[in-house]
This record gives sequence, C-alpha cells and structure tokens, in this order.
Amino acid sequence: MKKFLKWSIFILITFFLQELITISTIRLNFSILLIYKFIVEHFFPKEEQRNITPSEVLPLLFFVLIGFFDDLTQGIIGPSIISKTIAGTSLIILAKQLFFHWTEQFKGLIIFLLTLIDEVIYSVVIIYFFNFQFDNLLLTKTILIRALFNIPIGLVISWRKP
Amino acid sequence: MIKKLTLLILIFILFISFVLISYQAKGKLKFSGINFSQIIAPITYLKDLLEDLFYLREENQQLKIRLYEISLKEKSNQELINENKRLKSFLDLKETRKDIVTVARVISKGSNKFMKTLWIDKGNKQGVQKDFTVITFNGLVGKVVSVTSNFSEVLLLTDPNFSVAVRVERTRTEGILSGTGNGCILNYIPLEEEILVGDRIITSGLDGIFPEGILIGAVKSTTKKEGLFQKVNVIPIQREHNIEEVAVIKKSL
Repeated sequence: MKKFLKWSIFILITFFLQELITISTIRLNFSILLIYKFIVEHFFPKEEQRNITPSEVLPLLFFVLIGFFDDLTQGIIGPSIISKTIAGTSLIILAKQLFFHWTEQFKGLIIFLLTLIDEVIYSVVIIYFFNFQFDNLLLTKTILIRALFNIPIGLVISWRKP
Repeated sequence: MIKKLTLLILIFILFISFVLISYQAKGKLKFSGINFSQIIAPITYLKDLLEDLFYLREENQQLKIRLYEISLKEKSNQELINENKRLKSFLDLKETRKDIVTVARVISKGSNKFMKTLWIDKGNKQGVQKDFTVITFNGLVGKVVSVTSNFSEVLLLTDPNFSVAVRVERTRTEGILSGTGNGCILNYIPLEEEILVGDRIITSGLDGIFPEGILIGAVKSTTKKEGLFQKVNVIPIQREHNIEEVAVIKKSL
C-alpha cells in the first residue's frame, strides 16, 4: 500500500512537471524516467528485499500504465504504450545481465539511450500511422534535448549512498 | 533474457496497441485527451507571473538605461541649441563690432589663488595681445593679462585688481569702476551727482584700454555718507559663472 501510494504520487508529480516545464516550446519527457526509476528499484532493491525474485510482469504493467497516461495527455492511445513498453522491456533485459557495472556514467548512458528509444519509437509510430509532418532536423534536435535533459535528472532520482 | 510469459504479455500489449492505433488512424475510434492545462492553470499562471516579473524587471532596467541615454542626448541637443544661440549672438556682435580680433571658448578657470581669472583657447597666434578687452554679447568680461601662443588668461572685472574708466549712461558722469571680489564698485562719483539704482554703466574709453560704450552693469545701490565721493555698488551684467564663449577686441587706441 505504501509503495502504491509512493508511486501514485511520483506519477502525479512527474506528469504535472512534464506539463509545466518546457524549454523554449519543447516539452520534456519525464515519464520515461519513471520507468527507469521503477526498474532500478525493482531489479536492484535495497538490502532487506534482495531475497525476493523480481517479477517481470509488474514492470510490464507499469510501462503500460505510464504509456497510457502519456497517451491520454496526447489524445491518441497506443503510441506511447508501445514505445514505453519496448524501451522498458529492453531495460529489463539489460538489468538482468550481471556483467554490467551500474556506474554513474553507465546509468547516464542508459537514461540517454532509453529516452532515445522511447522517442524514436513514438515518432515512428506517429509518422507511420497518422502521417504527421515533421521537420527532421527539429525532431532530431528535440529528441536529443529530451534525452540529454533526462540524464542529470535520472541520475539524481536514482542516486544511492555508495 | 526475459521469461516466455513476459514475452507473450509484451506481444499482446503491442498487438492491442497497434489495433487501437489503427482504428484511431482510420478515424473509427476517438479518444479525447485529458487537458492538463486546465488542471495546472493556477500553477501555470503563477509561473507566467514569475516569468513576467523577471522580464519586467529586466525590461525596466533596460528602459531605465535607454531613458538615461535619451535624456543625455536631449541634454546634449539642448546644449547644442544653446551654443548655437550664443554663437549666433557672437556673429551679430561681430557684424556690429568691427574691432573683434577673435571669438574664443573658455577652457578653464584660472588657477591663480589671488586673482579671478579664466583661460580662453586663443592666444598670440590668433592675434590676441595683452590688455585686449574681453566681452560677451551681454557686456564686459575683463581684459587679457597674459598671452601664450594658443591660450590667454583673462582678468575678470570683479577682481579687486581690475579697474576701468566708466560712464553712467544716463547722466554721462565719469568714474572708475573696480572689482571687489563679489561685484564691482564705482569710485570717484561726486556727491552731488544723482545716481539712481538701475542706472546702466558703460565704458568711457578714457583709459586707453577699453573701447567706449561697452556695457558693464547696473547700479545696485548708492551710499553718500563717506568723504567727497559717493559709494556706488554695481552688479556686472555678465555673470562670471556662466561665461562660455567670449570675444576679444582690440585696444581702444
């Protein structure tokens, strides 16, 4: 219950900030950070929870939920669910690999790539199904800004005492 | 790698999503998006207000600077207008007085502690010589006491070392006007002469230095108590603190 409440507040604040904060008309993508934080907490729990084998279905449902909320703000249900689920699943695969050292640099790279995957899939789906016209350069710039902006925030929210 | 169940759920989610997207793309299904802007309107308003405040402060600062620049320009323009007026007056003066040697600009007050002088930017090269009369379009300023090649020092008529032969314009009474430090005093006016406050004092030309008829000032007060002569206080017509351009004229000889 406590965990549910915590995540509800997280989701609410994230979407609230996502709507509020813009960088010269570019909306930021904070919702992917929720997925990142969820995976980090789920697959790398604190000491007392380590004996519990982490479920894979729960994160998947969480991705759908976040994607659904994201889609609700856009008025088209589906693209964000797809992009968030694929990005999240790739993160699950990565988190299950034991040979990676989750250093701060690695985390930064992961956040960057995660945002990139989410944005690219979302854009491809939208362009393919809805024939939205995009300026390629502007789209690339927007995606890169979102990805870069997410790195420091992602590192801060997933920071733990060494 | 991920479990088979997870993979199945993933495929199912993707399939459902694609179906939903397809239906929406064809227009068979429509969802109205949640408009967050209404929910966050108060916060957005507060954010905009803060941004406005910040920009207003910045704009205010820039406008203040601009205003300062404009007021400086305006002052400079006014200065130019005034200068133009003064120079026009000098031109008129030059038309009427043919004995003007040069027109000079006052560059500084004299550094001599005991004499009231000022420096002008014309000297020997421009024809200025010692004892030449210095006037403005208002009246007498003083006389040249020292000359260098490009600069001259002018002794002001309010200096106690300054004297000039004068005449009361109305009565034609002659006397000697000297500086007192603050103003001027008219000496050697017999007691029987009736000098009135406001009488204009002009140079008589009898001293051989100052040309005749240059206005000096007006009578401020008269005292007839002491000795054979009355004491006449004179206010110079040309105040010494607002002299900017002067004309140098030849000696009356």
